[in-house]
Amino acid sequence: MTIKHILNTVSIIAVVTTFNVSAHVKGLLQVSAINADSQTSWQERGVGLYRFDSDTEGVLLSQGLLDFRTDLTSAWSAHGVINAYQDPEPTVGFTQAYLQYKPLTQNKYKWHVRVGGFYPLLSLENPDMGWLSPYNYTNSAINSWVGEELRTLGIEATIKRPGRSFNSAHSFSFVGATFKGNDPAGTLLAWRGFALHDRQTTFNEGIAFAPVASLNTPQLQFQANQVLPFEEVDGRYGYYIGMHWDYLKQSQFRFYYYDNNGDPAAINYSTGQYAWDTRFSSAAWLYKFTRKTRLITQMMSGSTAMGAKRGVDNRFYSHFILLSHKLALHRLSIRYDYFEVTDKDDWAFDPNASHGEGITATWRYQLNQQWQLGAEASALRSQADNRPLMGLSPRISQQQIALNAQWRF
Amino acid sequence: MKLLSAILLTLLAFSSQAATITVYNQGQKVQPNVVVWLQAKTPISVPRKPEEMFTMGQKDRQFTPHILVVEQNGQVDFPNADSIMHHVYSFSKSKSFELKLYREQPQAPITFEQTGVVELGCNIHDWMLGYIVVVDSPYYGITDEQGQVTLDVPVGEYTLNSWHEGFADISSIESKAVSIVSEALRYQLKQPLIPRVAIGVDEFDDY
Repeated sequence: MTIKHILNTVSIIAVVTTFNVSAHVKGLLQVSAINADSQTSWQERGVGLYRFDSDTEGVLLSQGLLDFRTDLTSAWSAHGVINAYQDPEPTVGFTQAYLQYKPLTQNKYKWHVRVGGFYPLLSLENPDMGWLSPYNYTNSAINSWVGEELRTLGIEATIKRPGRSFNSAHSFSFVGATFKGNDPAGTLLAWRGFALHDRQTTFNEGIAFAPVASLNTPQLQFQANQVLPFEEVDGRYGYYIGMHWDYLKQSQFRFYYYDNNGDPAAINYSTGQYAWDTRFSSAAWLYKFTRKTRLITQMMSGSTAMGAKRGVDNRFYSHFILLSHKLALHRLSIRYDYFEVTDKDDWAFDPNASHGEGITATWRYQLNQQWQLGAEASALRSQADNRPLMGLSPRISQQQIALNAQWRF
Repeated sequence: MKLLSAILLTLLAFSSQAATITVYNQGQKVQPNVVVWLQAKTPISVPRKPEEMFTMGQKDRQFTPHILVVEQNGQVDFPNADSIMHHVYSFSKSKSFELKLYREQPQAPITFEQTGVVELGCNIHDWMLGYIVVVDSPYYGITDEQGQVTLDVPVGEYTLNSWHEGFADISSIESKAVSIVSEALRYQLKQPLIPRVAIGVDEFDDY
């Protein structure tokens, strides 16, 4: 049984039981009017780092999702998120589908297990329905990448020491997971670099990137011009471990170490996908100065490599700082991102180094429980060493303005 | 004369007293949030089944009220005002139960047949904490910020019971024999109170 079979089974169980057992279904539609940059988006095989460009701008459905939870027994529940997108191609698919086992226990320590396809909970930026951010519309560079290339197709166990059980202000969780799939994660960092967007990849999707010149060389001739990020290539298990530490809920800290344990020599010739040896550490911290004002910051540092002799071997690093303030029905959020990829290999014909920074400012207004209006302005500048080989300037600056209307039920 | 004294005695027996009880902690300060109830030494009438419906809501991912006092055999509703689900449970000796609560699906109320302290939790939001104190008396209340509670009781001999979430053993209560004759009564807790941590949350703390 392959991972896709397991995922499909979980999805089918989830959907079927939704209609049989008591289910909790929520949904969200977000329509955006975009004034985009002229630089062609990575989604359209360009080198632009935003989701939209002047060819795709106008009014469009930027988010459409259904989030459901169904209780099978007291301890077992099925969870799923279905996303619909119209860019780059009209798509409907699952971004999460998993079963959760969370027994009611008298023990002071609590535990739960998730099985299926889901996000590692390393971000504090994406707590809204369907892994959306309630702060900026455009995710940080770190979580844009997590949303496109990272997903756990496996099993995760969490043991929690809740402060409430011990009459302590401190709560701790310890997380461990093992998974298959997710072998090509890192591909986009090598040939595109980090980007800034809110386009999550559904389980069966591929993500295209620019026609990088080095893919025409004999060394990289088997690499497709797209990534299928959740594919299993090398037959090996990956793992991650994590720790959450909350002080009351005023300070929330999360640390994760992820290693997909990819065998860089492994390749699937039919799909053109390598297994990348990708590992990283991520530290995230949320701090509430007051009930209204909070700081969220995250750092990620790691490496990724492919090829029998690690012909492509890169380090990557990114951080962001986000300040958000709530004023009655208004929420203002501003975020600074820094991101870089450094090239550690000696394949001069395949330069992978890139870096950049961006600023994103967002205003949201909660009209009522169903409707939210908002506007976002963002700007970034980036440099990538592989752009000149495609006849492009290595440096680009981009700006984007978006007006958004969100409706949820 | 006989008749007059009989009438007086009858009046005395049925006369009510608004008794104000002030609870002090061991630091001699007034103590809010103490559950107080008076049990008659000799039952005045047969124990009744309360007709009143009690409510323990969940709002903004907390139990509201934090402490609910319920008469024995009282029925409690658990309405969920949040848009998310709660999984309310208790492992307490006097009442053990679990309840999955969606906003759209009101559940049947739960009857609390036994006296005692019931500690509530939520299996989804592990910071949520609430208490239901089940008492076998219609004379109960919770002390206010001034440490006071006013109970409308017939004069007579009573056992004054008290409970606070800071008790070392939260399933235990303190009791003392009292006479309700005047309107003011003072009660001093016998044990020190352990400060309880309350975890405040907002809409994004679930994740």
